[in-house]
Amino acid sequence: MQITLDNLKRSYGNLHAVNGVSLAIPSNTIYGIIGRSGAGKSTLVRLISLLESPDAGEVYYDDLRVDNLSKAELITRRRRIGMIFQNFNLFSSRNAAENIAYPMEITGMTRSEIDTRVEELLTLVDLEGRGTAPISTLSGGQKQRVAIARALACKPDILFCDEATSALDPQTTHSILALLKEIQKKMALTVVMITHQMEVVRDACEQVAVLNDGMVVEQGYVTEIFSNPQSEVTKDFLSHLVGVDEASSNSDKMVHWSTKKGAYTLRFRGGTTDQPILSRISRDVGAEFNIRAGGVQKVGDVEIGTMVVDISGDEDMQRKAIQALREQGVLVEEENK
Amino acid sequence: MSKLWILVFQSTGQTLAMVFFSTFFSLLLGLPLGILLSATSSEEQGGIIPHPVLNNVLGRIVNVLRSFPFIILMILLFPLSRLLIGTSIGTAATIVPLSIAAAPFVARVIETALKEVDPGVVQAARAMGSTNWQIIWKVLIPEALPSLVSGVTLTIINLIGYSAMAGAIGGGGLGDLAIRYGYQRFRGDVMLVAVVIILVLVEIIQVIGNKISARLIAKR
Repeated sequence: MQITLDNLKRSYGNLHAVNGVSLAIPSNTIYGIIGRSGAGKSTLVRLISLLESPDAGEVYYDDLRVDNLSKAELITRRRRIGMIFQNFNLFSSRNAAENIAYPMEITGMTRSEIDTRVEELLTLVDLEGRGTAPISTLSGGQKQRVAIARALACKPDILFCDEATSALDPQTTHSILALLKEIQKKMALTVVMITHQMEVVRDACEQVAVLNDGMVVEQGYVTEIFSNPQSEVTKDFLSHLVGVDEASSNSDKMVHWSTKKGAYTLRFRGGTTDQPILSRISRDVGAEFNIRAGGVQKVGDVEIGTMVVDISGDEDMQRKAIQALREQGVLVEEENK
Repeated sequence: MSKLWILVFQSTGQTLAMVFFSTFFSLLLGLPLGILLSATSSEEQGGIIPHPVLNNVLGRIVNVLRSFPFIILMILLFPLSRLLIGTSIGTAATIVPLSIAAAPFVARVIETALKEVDPGVVQAARAMGSTNWQIIWKVLIPEALPSLVSGVTLTIINLIGYSAMAGAIGGGGLGDLAIRYGYQRFRGDVMLVAVVIILVLVEIIQVIGNKISARLIAKR
């Protein structure tokens, strides 16, 4: 199911929470929407998932306009949408299996159909035999697994994940993302992932839109955006990703040789990662590189190297060095400029 | 002496009947009202069909009824009792004002309990395509059940107190016994027995209510 947003707007009083968002979310993929808190993510997801109507603009699922559905149509449509949340939002009055059964109960499936499907779903999310567990006895990761099973109960075409991993620790986040990726493939779902964590986008999404002040400031393939960020917001997200070691595997670590921050951040894409670019340029131009920090990250299948360096030598040499770097396809960002 | 014990026995039966039936009817009136109050409140307060005007009007009616002194409400409702029961005196007739006096209390108790339900859970239920009825019956009420049980417990205890007061104007029951024999005939022992029975009733209800509520919470 492809989702198209056309110039969506939604304000609350003077606050333009979503201010003209147009996006094409392709079918059968995991699409990320990232933004800081207050960027309008929550409102946007409420608009796309038909929990709220826009002030202006249109939402299409495939070619069908869905933002102006009647009450009855809306309820039918919502039953084909799955949604998971940061706080899981499970029913505490029901155990795991009964939670998963709920969406099927409200659509009037028979008891035996429901029971069969609940067992299937418990297996799908690796919770076989935990059906009778009260929700309060489950860990955060298990709760989110129950929520995923519940969201998938009625075989939806779309799954919305609203900060689904924000309340989880890095390991659990990792396993939930792996599960979501597996399910996406198995069920050919369109998954829309709303998050403020760049790690989530890096580990799970194929494409991403960056949201700021209710507008899309950047969008495209995750590999492209990681190697060549355009907007300040995106760069900021990326710098936090590199600087703070929250990621699960060691290869994401940024190693700092000195506590001083370098003047230039260099980003090496794919093929350039394993070539001796720096030493070559250093020899050709005469400038010297002092490496302060560095690391390699895997984005999808592409490796992106990041280095924080100082360039010594006279101004002319520095300029030439930067120019040479850029010619080699290295992205050069200057600090505070 | 044995005559007095029979009287105590009868009065206890009358009190229990008054409390039982007025609890039933006050729930019958108060439950829909409480659901309506919670459902029509603003979205921020968890209302599923926000309707500020209706909510305001209902809220005011409930407040007026609640702040009415019970003894005056009873007298004002004599005609209604006469219409429904055929008399304004006696245990059966007292159930009418008791139910009406307790209904707004029940409504507020139910409203408060339903509003305590996590709005995120309601949002999830809505996102799954629940109708408003399904949200009320399959989500809000089950989720709020422990608080609802506590609320009903509180209602019953209040009604035991009210029923004693109702005895003073011809309703019978333990309150009536305490006043007619204990106070007017200077029988301190009768007064004591009536009061002790009322205290024991309250205690039993409280303990049972707490147990049910605790068991519901423990299962979660």
